[in-house]
Amino acid sequence: MTTSSVLSGPRQLVASGTTRHTAQRRAFLADLMGISPVMALYGLFIIVPSVFALFLSFTHWNIDGPIRWAGLANWRQLFSDPVSYHSLLVTLELAGLSWVAQTPVAMALGIFVAGTQRYRAVYATLYLLPLLMSTAGLGLMWEDVLFPQYGGLAWLGIHAHLAFLSREWLGSPNLALYTIVVIIAWQFVPFHTLIFQAGRRAIPAVLYDAASVDGANLRQSFWHVTLPQLRYSIVTSSTLVLVGSLTYFDIIYVLTQGGPGDATRVLAMDMYNIGFNQTEFGYASAIATVLGVLGILLALLLVRLSGFSRMDGPQEGSW
Amino acid sequence: MTRARRRSARPTNRAAALLAAGLTATATATVAAPATGASAQSSSAPTASISMWMEASGTPVDNYWVAQAKAFDKANPGDNISVEFPAASAFNPKVAAALAGNNPPALTFGWGGGRELQYISSGVIAPMGDAGQSDAGNPSWKKDFVPSSLGAVTFKNKIYGIPVGGTQPVFFFYNKKTMARYHLGFPSTTTQLISDVKTLAKHDVTAIALGNLGAWEGLMYLEYFTDRIGGPQVFLNIQSGQKGAWSNPAIIQALTDIQTLVKDNAFEQGYNQIDWPTGFTDALVHSGTAAMQLMGDWDIGNMQGYFPGWVASGAMGIGFFPKVPGGKGNPADLEGNTTDYLELASHISPAETYVAEKFAAWLCSSPAYARFEVSEGLVPVIAGSAKLFASSPLKQYLVPIYKAVQNAPYFQYSWDQALGPTKATPMTSNLQKVFGLTETPRQFAQIMNKYQ
Repeated sequence: MTTSSVLSGPRQLVASGTTRHTAQRRAFLADLMGISPVMALYGLFIIVPSVFALFLSFTHWNIDGPIRWAGLANWRQLFSDPVSYHSLLVTLELAGLSWVAQTPVAMALGIFVAGTQRYRAVYATLYLLPLLMSTAGLGLMWEDVLFPQYGGLAWLGIHAHLAFLSREWLGSPNLALYTIVVIIAWQFVPFHTLIFQAGRRAIPAVLYDAASVDGANLRQSFWHVTLPQLRYSIVTSSTLVLVGSLTYFDIIYVLTQGGPGDATRVLAMDMYNIGFNQTEFGYASAIATVLGVLGILLALLLVRLSGFSRMDGPQEGSW
Repeated sequence: MTRARRRSARPTNRAAALLAAGLTATATATVAAPATGASAQSSSAPTASISMWMEASGTPVDNYWVAQAKAFDKANPGDNISVEFPAASAFNPKVAAALAGNNPPALTFGWGGGRELQYISSGVIAPMGDAGQSDAGNPSWKKDFVPSSLGAVTFKNKIYGIPVGGTQPVFFFYNKKTMARYHLGFPSTTTQLISDVKTLAKHDVTAIALGNLGAWEGLMYLEYFTDRIGGPQVFLNIQSGQKGAWSNPAIIQALTDIQTLVKDNAFEQGYNQIDWPTGFTDALVHSGTAAMQLMGDWDIGNMQGYFPGWVASGAMGIGFFPKVPGGKGNPADLEGNTTDYLELASHISPAETYVAEKFAAWLCSSPAYARFEVSEGLVPVIAGSAKLFASSPLKQYLVPIYKAVQNAPYFQYSWDQALGPTKATPMTSNLQKVFGLTETPRQFAQIMNKYQ
């Protein structure tokens, strides 16, 4: 609105206040109409179920019977249940490890494919392939690759004399979570590569020119130009990695079902079991609520720490 | 950690093989048609349209239900049965939601046990009787079934489901050639089993193939060891919620025996990440890479689908779980899924109840039904089915199984089904740790006692 009033200049002075007010209202209504389908869908499929889940978390409900008020029983159980606590730790570990595994690799690849050298388009296309496959299909493929004795890795282990490859990658409680982290990274690094590629391409060449005039070497221009300029790409990518990992479910369900024992039982897996195997929807909803709140808090925290919320442009100053 | 689709899950690629087997199955054998109570169609008999929910098996069994429903409709003008197959994933919550709703399917497929008890206490499942009679819970057809097959649906002396599957005891499948190569017979005691494990390991043969990703596969060892060591009462105490029942010395000993097998390399590498339904462990036994596998009756059909020639030639052996020397349990006791059932919804009209009860009784009274089961490699729980096996290509397996079921002093229903999901999930996931040697028998008992 301010932009339009500046542009209309002196004519604003003759326009009456009422007209301006009407125009503003009309624009507001138009905006509202424009976004209303999205808001309606968001409300119907995100807000309503979330509120219902919050409500259910204070009830006992087995689906086959009536919904009974439970007060804080589910929440008390959640905070005293060693199984859920363990699942929370596994979830946080998965999120942290996923960030460590994905962000640096995606950034390096993104910067690489943003360049102009030959064949990069070919590489970029190849990197993207895992992103195009269905997760369940990926899970089944990895199941075969990691199959003990007869899987792809075990085959390599025998025929290429790389004994360390013949391991119980998913059957050992000490390895299973790390294996899952690597598979998730393999699947999602391409997507984050795209984010960093776009971010790197948006950095004006003049900044690098200025840096080289000042005598900066490659390493210095990376630390003092590329990295600061990529900060919003980093925030976006990190938010998606961390929040996404909180609810990660499908690959784990296909590959380990949360096992061996509870080594890969993340909260989302726990929620699924309690909800859909044990049909305890009240307790499962309490876990869902925790996951939702954790996700929102994590996203807010990242936005706050990065200054993203202040809408500063990366080129306006240093960080 | 059990999948919604559990032991009855079978790969679909055997459908054609089964169909062929079905065609070759006897066409002349008959089984006495059980009395079905009020089967006489009178002009005043109510009519209704009802639906029946089955768990899709991906085998000819599915088509069989649809064909039977059509035949019933034809024979009973005015009645209409529609058979539906809700997606197998999350079958149970869908059933639970439907049963609680205003228009539930009159008949639903189930396994009895803990889950059905929950439905009964919620008042969504009704006892079954004869159509039009006031004998709910005590139907006249109960005498037509092998008595042990009704245990999982009998609560407070009332019957809440009619068997619609074969009986599914668990036993060892073994490769006769492999055992013979190392001069081993099927072990009759667990001491012998452990010694065989060592002999086979020396020759780089895996003694026992195990796919334990789903964790119920390993549970069968705990069930059998416990029964053989301490008898049926040990688990009955657990099931009735007795405090500290998991600390019973029989449980500790059973878990210790499992860990002994693990430490002696009885199972192939990576057993905790191998998914049984993939058929991999079946292939290990067939190829002789492994000597045996503990699995349920349902695997006969799989084996027949995968390796028809091998199964028909009798190269596959079956053997019941060995005796534990000095143990209290009877070595003739069985463990497994007694059978599958159709259960009757509560929130339906009297006319719908009438038609549902009539249809259920009609379905199981048909001689074609028992014949069809036999052709599927299943052992019917209908009394007097033994003669059906005479001309079955699978009779060398089915006859001893049928006899074992008839002679079993005790048939223990699978623990995960018997306990219901709330206790079964921690039980199987902790047992997986015991199999992985990351939890001791005492730790297992301590954790499970908290759920009592």
